[in-house]
Amino acid sequence: MLRIDIVDVGQINAPADKTLLSAIEAAGINIHYHCREGFCGACRTKLLEGEVEYTTDPLAFIDDDEILPCCCVAKQPLKIKVPL
Amino acid sequence: MKYTTFNQQSTNPLLEPMFFGNPVNVARYDQQKHAIFEKLIEKQISFFWRPEEVDVTRDRVDFQKLTEPEKHIFISNLKYQTLLDSVQGRSPNIAFLPIISLPELETWVETWSFYETIHSRSYTHILRNLFSDPSEIFDDIVVNDEIKRRAADISKYYDDLIFATQLWQTQGEGVHTVDGIAHTISMYELKKKLYLCMNSVNALEAIRFYVSFACTFAFAERKLMEGNSKIIRLIARDENLHLSSTQHVLNLWAKGKDDPEMAQIAEECKDEARAIFMNAVEQEKEWADYLFQNGSMIGLNKEILCSYVEYIANQRMTAIGFDAPFDVSSNPLPWMNNYLNSDNVQVAPQESEISSYLVGQIDSAVSEEDFADFEL
Repeated sequence: MLRIDIVDVGQINAPADKTLLSAIEAAGINIHYHCREGFCGACRTKLLEGEVEYTTDPLAFIDDDEILPCCCVAKQPLKIKVPL
Repeated sequence: MKYTTFNQQSTNPLLEPMFFGNPVNVARYDQQKHAIFEKLIEKQISFFWRPEEVDVTRDRVDFQKLTEPEKHIFISNLKYQTLLDSVQGRSPNIAFLPIISLPELETWVETWSFYETIHSRSYTHILRNLFSDPSEIFDDIVVNDEIKRRAADISKYYDDLIFATQLWQTQGEGVHTVDGIAHTISMYELKKKLYLCMNSVNALEAIRFYVSFACTFAFAERKLMEGNSKIIRLIARDENLHLSSTQHVLNLWAKGKDDPEMAQIAEECKDEARAIFMNAVEQEKEWADYLFQNGSMIGLNKEILCSYVEYIANQRMTAIGFDAPFDVSSNPLPWMNNYLNSDNVQVAPQESEISSYLVGQIDSAVSEEDFADFEL
């Protein structure tokens, strides 16, 4: 379990075997998503602290300080700002 | 520079810009300057579908049950989507292919356009099922003022770029007079037109489809017009991918990762590009007004729809480096996400009725003679 600090929302614990998006949803937080496969960019999230690992190569455009929670897992405790 | 279908000069596509370099010669994908386009091609091809795979026969019954305002909403959206895909099925090919310099981008544009033609074919599939003669619907697309206004705004940036490219490829740079009007053609002006056109296409893929999508899925939430909804889900999945590609192009330019002159133009035309996007948002809100002019539908009204447009506009504008202009902090239509989730759109034969599998197995043609020996 890794601690995820979600700006303006709160803190959750993310299991290592779930994508970050699923972990956030499992904690009862609904964030914006569409494809859940990394090609649309709807869940584009600011990564303020920490590091993630992609389970699928993201196809959508993401900036250097952004991640796609639908296709990555947390490698360290994170601080993120999600699209609600 | 004259266009050639096979440039005989040796070029190194790894050093070419995306646009306005040397024409592409060998269609090779073993090496890529911008690998993202090759990945988008692979993804798009993996999405292959045919409209005929989706059984829309139940929709005919549902359609008869809709109220008149709901019929207006449903049919108007189909007309608008038909317009959008008519433009998108040809324009990227005609506007972009003659000026593209990378094989992977060339093939991406061809693949993208091909999928838009599948979308166009699916509107015919839907309408043929609803009306014995869909001509009236198709004919109205070119005379309906609401649709024409949008068509003019969508096609003008394409037409402008296409015309300037034609002059440049036949006459070169300089001032050329056509029908008494002088046109100044320079590489900088051409690139500016390309930049504005790409922004207009991006706004189309990002915003223009979504009012229609929302209405379609609102019907599906009530278990109405589900065949249509299944098709629109497949279309929405494709459009999400197309949007990714225009976002990549715009960001590659703006971040100076392609043609340095395009980075300069992106900076210089920032306000104009933003205005293109904001104009598309305004037009979509006006469209929502037109859709609901005769009355709302259950689960959706003009206000919610407009706030959804603002919500996705915020998302899509920040993706290309603009500030979020609207004050909408959360998704007003959260159920839309379910319909846009690609896990939910896969059409597997065992999971759905596929009308083409039934062809030849049952005879659904009924003639008047078939009832000849019936007596009441």
